[in-house]
Amino acid sequence: MGWLFIASVTVRFNPAALRPFRAGAVVVLGLFAAGVALRPLEAPAWAEIRAGQPALRLESLKDALGQGVTVGLLGGFRAIVADLFWIRTNTIWEDNDLPGTQTSIKLVTAIDPRPLYFWLNGSRMIAYDMPNWRIDKAGGYDAVPEAVRLRFDQEQSSVAIKYLENALEFHPGEPLLILEIANVHLNRLKDLETAAGFYLAASRLPDAPFYAARIYAELLRKLGRNAEAYAFLQQLYPTLPTEDIGAMSNVVLDRIRELEDDLNIPGAQRFQPPAAPSAAASAP
Amino acid sequence: MSVASVPFSFSRLSLIAGNTFLEAVRQKLFNFLLLLAVGLVASAQFFREFNFGSSELKFISDFGFGALIFFGSALTIATTAQLFFSEIENRTALTLLAKPLWRAEFVFGKFLGVFAVIGVFCALTIGLMMALLWHREGQLMNIRPEDFANGRLIAYGDLLVVGVLQWLKFGVLAAIVLLIASFSNTNLFTVVTGFFVLVICHLQYLARDAWGNVDNAVLGLVVRALGFIFPNFQLFNLADQIGQGSGVSPVVALQVAGYAVAYIGVIGGLAVYSFRNREI
Repeated sequence: MGWLFIASVTVRFNPAALRPFRAGAVVVLGLFAAGVALRPLEAPAWAEIRAGQPALRLESLKDALGQGVTVGLLGGFRAIVADLFWIRTNTIWEDNDLPGTQTSIKLVTAIDPRPLYFWLNGSRMIAYDMPNWRIDKAGGYDAVPEAVRLRFDQEQSSVAIKYLENALEFHPGEPLLILEIANVHLNRLKDLETAAGFYLAASRLPDAPFYAARIYAELLRKLGRNAEAYAFLQQLYPTLPTEDIGAMSNVVLDRIRELEDDLNIPGAQRFQPPAAPSAAASAP
Repeated sequence: MSVASVPFSFSRLSLIAGNTFLEAVRQKLFNFLLLLAVGLVASAQFFREFNFGSSELKFISDFGFGALIFFGSALTIATTAQLFFSEIENRTALTLLAKPLWRAEFVFGKFLGVFAVIGVFCALTIGLMMALLWHREGQLMNIRPEDFANGRLIAYGDLLVVGVLQWLKFGVLAAIVLLIASFSNTNLFTVVTGFFVLVICHLQYLARDAWGNVDNAVLGLVVRALGFIFPNFQLFNLADQIGQGSGVSPVVALQVAGYAVAYIGVIGGLAVYSFRNREI
């Protein structure tokens, strides 16, 4: 009986009912075809735009998405959104809230990895402030053994260095970031050897501040490698512009003389600074 | 007289575009969003104190483009949907389409009217931003002449190029909204879907990055297909290039402009096709 009932039902096929689906399919296929056809135009432009904008990487944005900042990012307010989150980071930092501050610091650079300011100051909070917060939380300096304090320093320094290495992916060859890594090794981990290596690496980069090379030479002295420091400063001095106060060429010359005394260099073999061009020679 | 008996007319198209433009500039929404954007750009210098990261001029430029992109997107979606549905709800579309008027003339006329309105919005916002940057840069040149030894730092030509590319992006967005409106029944649905598509078009490159290389072949294929269906709006995000290296590459700018124009044509054509299948 059942099959008779089914057979008796006349299924009226109405082609007009399919029109919206057909139109939808044509639209989707049209868009797909356009996407495929335009890919050769899009791809080279997109590759060049992405290469110049590290902020467009997935790794950069994945921490920021879903934090209520998507609209800001889409709207183009990247700079102002990051600035407002930086203010919030400082508010959290005032409360010595370690996880909150650390998360907020990473969020700020996820939103806008372009400014060095965020990376440098964020890493300083992690490396220099957070070990103290942990010590306070563990009962204070008197209650926490030296070994535990050292462990806190090492752990936080490790986080800060990793953070700065991440920054270098967005700012390759930026001397200020390498100097910051050097500072963490020197000031927090008291690792003079490693710090010296980073100061040297930073000093060799274009636009490196003059003090990078001076600190490297000072660390060589502290490590007892005076001859090496002397040779380095001798090479450095002629490259320093005398008219630039930041270059501190007089300080470098003083240190060369101190090293000559320490190394007992005979007078005849002592470093002779290159003669400055005289006014008469430069006059027309 | 049927539509088939009359040839496609640019004068009819321009008449519809002109009317759409006039209708749009009379809208409170346009004036409100324009005022908001202009106010925000003008107030950029008061937000300078909030700036920690980039240089002051870069911050003003970022802020100006932020206002342009944010309010421009809102204006494009809302105005396109509103102007399209006002014709349907007021029954003027019935009167118009009863005449020998191509649906393509109607759709592209609407598009050009909206595109012109957005052009005015972009011109005013970019113009104000450039004036503000010029003024502030002049002040800074007097305060710190050593920083401007080689003249002005801002590439004003690049600002203009990026402004034009944003305008073209809004054109693609307007075409998408018209396509949605061509089959949608309500203004609200069109606006909401338009915003969703805007977000998808901005973020589709992330989906391509994240899911394009997944082990699941079917999922990877679906994501790659979606990457082809939606235009990549991040391509127009050239504001960050200003002041970096050699600035905005003319070749890239031309490629992006070509991409936008091609998409406007294709999506506009699909909107016409979809609208022809619609009962009014």
